[in-house]
Parts: sequence; structure tokens; C-alpha cells
Amino acid sequence: MPAAVEFAQVTRHFGNVRAVDGVDLTIAEGSFFAMLGPSGSGKTTCLRLISGFESPTTGTIRIFGEDVSTTPPHLRNVNTVFQDYALFPHMNVRDNVAYGLMVKGIGKTQRHEKAEEMLSLVKLSGYGDRKPGQLSGGQRQRVALARALVNEPRVLLLDEPLGALDLKLREAMQDELKALQQRLGITFVFVTHDQHEALSMADSLAVFNEGKIAQIGTPEAVYNRPATRFVADFVGSSNVLPPALTRALGGPDEWASLRPEVTRLAATGPVTATVTALRYLGSGTRVVLDMGGTELAAIVPAGQPLPEPGTQTAIAFDPAALHIMAGA
Amino acid sequence: MPAPAIIQPKGLSDRLTALFWRRPRLLLGLLLVPPLFWLGVVYLGSLFSLLIQSFYSIDEFSGMVVPEFTLKTYAELFRAANLDIIIRTLLMAAAVTLGAALIAFPIAYYAARFAKGRWKAVFYLGIMLPLWSSYLVKVYAWKLILAKEGIVTWAAGITGTSSLLDAVLALPVVGGGSLSTSYIGMFLVFTYVWLPYMILPMQASLERVPTSMLEASADLGATRAQTFRTVVLPLAMPGVIAGSIFTFSLTLGDYIIPQIIGNSASFIGMAVYQLQGTAGNTPLAAAFAVVPILIMLAYLGFAKRAGAFDAL
Repeated sequence: MPAAVEFAQVTRHFGNVRAVDGVDLTIAEGSFFAMLGPSGSGKTTCLRLISGFESPTTGTIRIFGEDVSTTPPHLRNVNTVFQDYALFPHMNVRDNVAYGLMVKGIGKTQRHEKAEEMLSLVKLSGYGDRKPGQLSGGQRQRVALARALVNEPRVLLLDEPLGALDLKLREAMQDELKALQQRLGITFVFVTHDQHEALSMADSLAVFNEGKIAQIGTPEAVYNRPATRFVADFVGSSNVLPPALTRALGGPDEWASLRPEVTRLAATGPVTATVTALRYLGSGTRVVLDMGGTELAAIVPAGQPLPEPGTQTAIAFDPAALHIMAGA
Repeated sequence: MPAPAIIQPKGLSDRLTALFWRRPRLLLGLLLVPPLFWLGVVYLGSLFSLLIQSFYSIDEFSGMVVPEFTLKTYAELFRAANLDIIIRTLLMAAAVTLGAALIAFPIAYYAARFAKGRWKAVFYLGIMLPLWSSYLVKVYAWKLILAKEGIVTWAAGITGTSSLLDAVLALPVVGGGSLSTSYIGMFLVFTYVWLPYMILPMQASLERVPTSMLEASADLGATRAQTFRTVVLPLAMPGVIAGSIFTFSLTLGDYIIPQIIGNSASFIGMAVYQLQGTAGNTPLAAAFAVVPILIMLAYLGFAKRAGAFDAL
């Protein structure tokens, strides 16, 4: 069975800027795939390459095995939830949702019926007569979702879908999107710069940096075994150890990463550090250390004694938790 | 000693700012009184006196205005000669509005969607530049361009399209001896002169249509034509209506272009000019002046019912 989306050596240049630079990517059918990266890393351009709003400069893009490099957006069986939702302000919610069916020439009764069905799927039954301007941000996003799903796409693209929502709503929507994806069984590809969102929702994810993919894998693999210093730093702010420090702490002469939550404070150790700051997190406290010029962090669980800033301490960790980054 | 929590007001400007802060409506009121006085008293006042005048009539023997309310003057509008003037003006205004809208849309669309930086400046300059020169100069320039011995005739001669020009001029009603003495010529000049007033509001309304909305439409399967009909046009409609109010009402009221270009058939503006001046028939002039107002009100009412302002 062909992959839902496949990139083969895809590049997209804007003048001298290589927005996407030699990307190979395979997204399995029915998966919830995240494209994670800082702004300008090429993740949104990749999404637009799938939807057809950008064409690759070189390389091939396949959707379910078919080369779509010269297929315009309106002939691709993929739909997008836009970052700004892009709801049509002059149409009511029902007509917005039914738009994809309207342009296909499906009759009014039938398309309104289907629109209502979609609205109940996103828990907005009874909102059909309202204008988008009369809805809250979270409701608008559900309308955008219903509108994108009405054509029954085989791949749904979501561009920073939760970016404009407040924290509580965002967490609720994360669960809902995940449940919806499992229920519908279609492939979801979403773009985000929020590593927590990517880790908690995706089945697998690609971390983008400067137009290239730095790492592809399951959230667990990317989080625990980052391939590069960039991934270690960007996905969950790991401690990145330069080769000299790794060796001093008992490892090989290589770049390594060490998660703050497995780093403990100890009375003695091979290298001492100065406590520079304490950041209260609720479930614990993040202790920021300066170890010979390298900034490290350790999480001290709530209820345990905390060091004073300015004092000296050492660190301890399970040697198995030290991840050597050969690709760094 | 630490700085005090309250800073002592220094001078009038501090005190005034404090006053306006305590009474926010005061500043708004002060700013609005002069324009409201102008609009309410001077403008609406004259409009009202115009309306009153139109209900007066003229004594046919003495030529004096009889200040008694009657519908006699309005009945005169329905005399064949006067009705011709109204219909002629209305048709010209409608044709000019349609022509200007068709020419303006691609220009406004380009400017709103694709022009950036320097090209945007070139666009604004190109649209505004004709407005810097006198309206009369432009109209007379067009007379020379369209005249029998003018540039168009000459250009038709050297490109071998004289027969085409002759065929156009041979059209019944809209044709004539030359472009400068035909309705076609008048239409061209009106369209040229009012075009900026159509382009600018259109461009402003198109500018507010985000690209993502056009992408969303294509994403959902719409062709370009469908996107244009169901998304771009409805969202641009308030601008199109605003522009058409300009072109429509400016054409309805103009009395100079029909005098210089065309076959000297009368238009509403010319009729008003002649009736209140040489003829001294102020009531009929007033009744004629009310006609464009009524037409515009009917037009706006129709546009509203057709949903042109839904996207506002």
C-alpha cells in the first residue's frame, strides 16, 4: 500500500532562500503526523507543497502513490484547516461548511444535510445560521475543521491549528482532534512550533531546521534519543553536553544529551557546578546550573530540599540515560 | 524622598487632558460640532430648501415663482422632452458605471493582490495623476483625441481600420458624425474621467480579502471562476457599490461633458444649469435636481436588498 504522502528530494526555493532543501519524507496512511520546527524552518512550506499552494522547485511529491507535482489545489483530494481559519465572512456557518459540496454542484438540501452532520461531528449543532463573526475562536476553529472534512479528504492538513486558542481550550482541542482522527481513520498532517503539542498528539513527527528534516521518528524516540544538538535543544530543552564535558562525566568523547528530569543534584561528583537560578514549575523546581560555562538544568521534585542560588553542587544520573549524539 | 504618586499638573494642556479623561465625550463633542453644524444646518438646510422649491411652480405669464405647494412642477418632468432627458442621463450613467467597473476591476485586483512596494506607489501615482490636472483640460484633450480630424481618426487611417471606425460611427443612436459628437465618445470621456473613483474603493475592499480565503476556496475544490463568483465578488461588493455611487452620481449630475462632447442633447445637469440660469425656472430646476437623489436612493435600496453589503 502506498504511503499517504511521500516527498522525494523535494526542494522549494524563494529567490535565494531555500525554504525547503532536499526533504525526503514518508507519511503512513491513517497516521497523525506532526511537522515541528521553529518559524522559518520550512514546515509550513512543506504543508503548502502537499496542499498545492506551492510547487516544488525540484523533486517529486506523491499522494497515495500519484505524482501531484503538477496538480492544482482544487484537484487534490486533501483539505486544509488554515491557521487564520479563513472562514468566509459573508456566508453563515452552514454555507461555509457546505462550500466544498456547493462548488461540486451538490443540491442545497443534500449539502445542508451533510453540513449539519459535520457540524454535529465537531459539536456545533444548531450554530448553522450564525455568521463566523458571531463565534468565539474555538468555535471558528471547529467550523474550519468541519468545512475541511466535508469533502471527505484522504489527508487533512492542519496549519498551526491550535495556535490562536488559550491554554485550556488548546488542551481540550488536542484530545478532540486526536479522538476525531482515530474515529475517521484518515491521515492528519499538522504543523506546529509547540513541541508539547507535537509530542502529545502525533504518532510520528518530523523536526525541521533550516529547510531540512533534522529527525523523523515517534515522539518517544525523538524526545529520548535526539539525533542532533538542535533536536535535543528544541524538543523539550534537553541538556546538551559538549564532548569534553561528556567525557568528564564518564561518557565517550562525543556530544551528548541528558534530560533535566533524569538529572539529580548530588553532594559529590566528577564536575561541580554553580546554581544560577531556580524556576518553580509546580510539580517540581527547575534548577539551572553553570557547569564550567555550559548551562545545564536539573528537575528537583516537589518536597525535596532546594539549593541556594550561588552555591556549589554536583550532579548524578543513571549512565544509561546519557544519550550520545553521533550525528551532532 | 521617593517621587510622589500623583504628579502636579503643569499648565493648561495637563488640565485639559485631565478634563477630557474625566469626560471622554466632551472631546468627541467638541470635534464633532463644526462638521455636524455644516452637515446639519448648511447642507441639509439647502437640501431641504431645494426640496421645498421643487414643490413650487412658475407662473406661465409673469415668469414669477409662485410659492404655493403643488405637484405641477413634478408633473412637468413627465413631459416627453423632459422624460427623454432623464432616461438619457440614466442610461448614460448606468453604461458609464458598468464600463468603469469592468475596466477598474482588473486594475484594482492587481494592485490589491500583487503590487508591492515600488509598484504599489506606481499604481497610486498612475491612478491619482490624472486627478491633478483640471477636469476641463482633460475633457478638451479628449475632444481633440476624438474629433473628426483627431488622433483616433488618424490612427485608424494608418492602421487601416478606418472602415471599422466608420462602422462603429454608423451604429444607430450611439453613433454620429465623429466620436467627439457621439454618445460613444461621451461614454469614453465619462468613463475615463470617473475611473479613479471606481478603482480606489474597489482596491480598498479587495485589499481586505486575505489570500488564505482564496486558498481555502481552491482547497475545497472551487475553480477560479467559482472562487471569483462566490468569494471575491461578494467580498469586493461594498467597494464596487461605493465606486458605482461615485461614477453613477457624478455622471447623473455632470453638465460640462455633455456640453463639450456629444450631439448637444440635454442631460439632467445641463437642464438644471439652464433652467435655474437663463430660463429662471427654479422650481423645475429643483425638481430635476431631486431626480438623481431619488435614483441614488432607489439604487442603494436595491443594492442592499441584493445583499451587496452583507460582507461589511
